[in-house]
This record gives sequence, structure tokens and C-alpha cells, in this order.
Amino acid sequence: MKHLRKLSFPYLVWMMTLVFGPTILILLLSISDLDIYNLGTFTITFDSFSFLGSTKVINASLNSLFYSLTATFISFLIGYPVAFFLARSHSKYKTFFVSLLIIPVWSNMLLRIIAWEKLFYPISILNMFGISLDLIGTPLAIVIGMVSMYLPFMVLPIYSVLEKLDQNLIDAASDLGAGPYETFTKVIFPLSLSGVVSGTIMTLLPSMTAFALPERLGAGKVQLIGNVIQDYFMKTNQVNAGSLISIILMIFIVIMFILVLHFDKEGETLI
Amino acid sequence: MMNIIEKRWKHVRPILYKVVVILLTVLVYFMVYFPILVIILLSINESESGQTFTALSLKWYAEIFRNERLLTAIINTVTIALISTVVATIVGTLTAIGISSLTKSRRIQFMVLNNIPVINPDIVTGLSLMLVFSLLPISFGMPTMLLAHIFFSIPFVVLTVLPKLKELDPNLMDAALDLGCNYFQGVYKVIIPSIKTSIIAGALIAFTMSIDDFVISYFTTGNGFQNVSIWIYSRLGRRTFSPAVYAYNTLIVFVTIGVLGYINIRMNVRLKGEKK
Repeated sequence: MKHLRKLSFPYLVWMMTLVFGPTILILLLSISDLDIYNLGTFTITFDSFSFLGSTKVINASLNSLFYSLTATFISFLIGYPVAFFLARSHSKYKTFFVSLLIIPVWSNMLLRIIAWEKLFYPISILNMFGISLDLIGTPLAIVIGMVSMYLPFMVLPIYSVLEKLDQNLIDAASDLGAGPYETFTKVIFPLSLSGVVSGTIMTLLPSMTAFALPERLGAGKVQLIGNVIQDYFMKTNQVNAGSLISIILMIFIVIMFILVLHFDKEGETLI
Repeated sequence: MMNIIEKRWKHVRPILYKVVVILLTVLVYFMVYFPILVIILLSINESESGQTFTALSLKWYAEIFRNERLLTAIINTVTIALISTVVATIVGTLTAIGISSLTKSRRIQFMVLNNIPVINPDIVTGLSLMLVFSLLPISFGMPTMLLAHIFFSIPFVVLTVLPKLKELDPNLMDAALDLGCNYFQGVYKVIIPSIKTSIIAGALIAFTMSIDDFVISYFTTGNGFQNVSIWIYSRLGRRTFSPAVYAYNTLIVFVTIGVLGYINIRMNVRLKGEKK
């Protein structure tokens, strides 16, 4: 078997280049005036740091935390019981119901955002049912959009952990005198934590860094950190400032990453 | 008095539990499926603005083939998805075989690296690749978008194939070698056939990750090379946004339901066959 190890080397080199290369580049860009599109000499400067104090960046960061935490919490609250119910059910159609949760993910996310956007305007196809929503630009609209987009990423990891849970452990708990409530809090929930952590992170990080969703459902009134990064990189060409903000974001992501590693070393709950 | 309440509660509790679970399940499926239903409704709606339902019409389905820009975007999307799936499946499978023969601690280190693009938000992956590509002597457009799609697809193939490899008998390869296979034949004739289903699953995931990607494509494309997502984004709120894209999406949804249904049925048939 040892000879097969060679097969993993090319990918190792490829990943090292494309994962650590840009990270070093972003670090360099954030503390210098290097021009990425016209490479030449550069000097180390901390000019970009002045952007961190701007109200735009601070507001966007606070918004990102607020919206993504709310959406993740709601997804967990409604997603866990459903994952639990699906995993414990003995129905013939169990796999069918689980696959039903994956199909929407395969449909274009931008179009699903537009679908919500169209409904949130006072004049929409909902009028024919006598309903008129006026939610566009409100926090509620953004949270509904986020929950709708990322809910499957909360349900599926929790489901896959609960599905593999050994029934004998639950039987043992009840044999030893635990009621349904105690069995859940002392046995089932702690054992499902790896799924909960993966689910939380797979919901939290994309909703926090989304930029098309807040742009459309927030009607331009709400800016998240993703919008700021997109602005700096794609619109105003302030690559150095954008890099610094990305670094702050990366620090947050690394903390989340360590959390996943703690519970699930080989990423078995990620898909 | 207390006793009566307690007795009643014992009867009510399981019913209450069922009602709550059913309501939550309905809510979850509603949240996830509602936008899909709206897209289907908009695809068969005669109105262009989609604000009111005017009349039932299939004209947007025909429009897919008349709108040249959209058609080009669709062809680009499918081409990128097919090529990146083939490359990611081959590289991912071979890499997974390599990883499974590593020692445990090395394997974990490797998987940490592999999972970085999976956990990283799209925007971070997108701008990282954009920066690296800007240093390389390649022009932004199809080649950079393709490289980006291959990059984010491989980790998913590795994640799907590796668990199946762990279930394989570690002596399988040695037996093949003893029986006169060389290393290439051992991998090709023994290992790959026994992990075939996971390879197909990995390829499906890679394909579907690629076909609806927006953020990473947005950061790594250039020179007017558009996939469907970029076509949509660049036309949002403009008159050039054609509802034909709702029709395209509806077709994609039905095709995926069909493929998934077919695989489910085939797997059920096989499971029944094995039980006999």
C-alpha cells in the first residue's frame, strides 16, 4: 500500500500553492502598497488600517454578526428537530425526504434570492392570493432569505450524525433508568455535537460573507462584510484595504476551523 | 386534582410532540422549496416583469434558444461543469487512494488541508484565487474560471471517496499484486471497481457544485466570459433580464429530481437483490 502514497503528492503541491500562496499574498497586500496588477517595488505601510475604523466597515461587521447569528440560530432551532425526526424515522421514504432537501441547493442561488425579492415588494404575484408583503430592505427579509438558502446545510450534517448513532446506546440509557428527556440531553445531543458544529459553521460563514443576498433583499440599505470586500476588490479597486478586511475575516474563519477540527478531524460530517 | 392533570398530560404529550414535529418539518420544507415554486411559477407566466400573473405560457422555454447571450452562458456553464467534473473526479479519486494509504496522523493533516476550501466562504476562496491568477501569465476568462472550479470540486470528491476506501480490506491491493498485477493494474482493476458508487456520487457533487456557482466564478472570470450566474447578476434590475432563465432553472431542477429518483430506484433494486 505504501507505494500508493505517491498518488497524493501532486494534489499536496497544488493545494499548498493555491491555499497558502494567496494567504501570504493577502497578508503582504494588507501591510504594503503593493499593486497586484502592476507589480513593482513596494513599501511597507499601514495605511489600510485607517479603513478599519471607518463607520462603513464597523457597521458592516456588526451587521454581518447580527444577521448571520440570527439566521444560524433560527436554522438550528427549526433544523435540529427535523433532522432528529428524519434520522429516527423508519419510513421507507426517509432517503427520499432527505434528498428532497438537497435538490433546492442545486438550483441557482441567485434566482432563489430573486424569487424572495419579487415576493417582498408590495406589488407581487402574491397579490392574487390577497397577500401583500412589504418587507424589502427590512432585517426580516434578509433573515428569511438566509434561513431559506442555508437551512439544508444545517439539517444535513446533523442528520448524518444522528443517522449513524448506535441504537444500543439509547436502549442502554433507558435500561439504566433515563427518561426520554434525560436520554436526549445526556446521550443523544452530546453525541450529535460534531454535526451541530459542522452545521453551524456551514450556515454561519456563508451567511456572514454573503454579498448578493443582502444587496438584493436589503435593497441596498444593508451592507454586510461581503459587500465591503466586493466593493474594495471589484468596484473601487482598493485591493490593499480589501485585503486587510479579508485578513480580519480569515482570523475569524480560522477560529471556526479549529472548532470543527476539535469535533471532526477528517471532515466526515461536512457532506 | 394534580393527578388528573398529570394523566391528561401523559396522553397529550405524544400528540403535542407529533404536532410540533410535523409543523416544523412543513416549515423547513416550505422555507427551502418556496423560492423554487416561485421560480417555476415565473417560468410559466406570460408577464415579463413577474409582478403579476397574467397568463399561462411556455414562451420563456422557447426563448432559451432565441436569447443568444443566455444560450452562450448556458453552454459555458455546462462546458465548465463537465470538464471540471471529469478532472476533479480523476484527480480526487487518485488523491483519495493516496491519502488512504498514509499513516493516520498524516491522513488527518492532509484532510485538514483538503477541507479548507470546503469550509472557507466562497468570497474568500474567490478572491484568493483571483489574486493568485493575477500573478500568473494567463488571461482571466474561461481558463481561470475552469481552474477555480477544478480547485473547489476536488475536495468534495476526496471527501466522498475516502470513507468508502476506509471500508475496503487493506489486503486487497496486496492480494492483487501477489496475483501478478502491477501497481497500475491493481488500482485500475481492483480498487477503482470496488469504490465505483462513491466515485459516481463524488462526480455528481462536483458537477452540481460547479453548475450553480456564482461567487467564485464572479471573482475569477474576465473578458466577458459569463456563466449563467454571472449573466443573471450582470442583468439584475435591468431590462435585459429575460425570464427565460427561470425556464432554464426549472428544467435543471426537474433533471436533477429525475437523476436522483433514478439513482434511488436503482439502489433500492440492488439492495433488494443483495438481501435475496
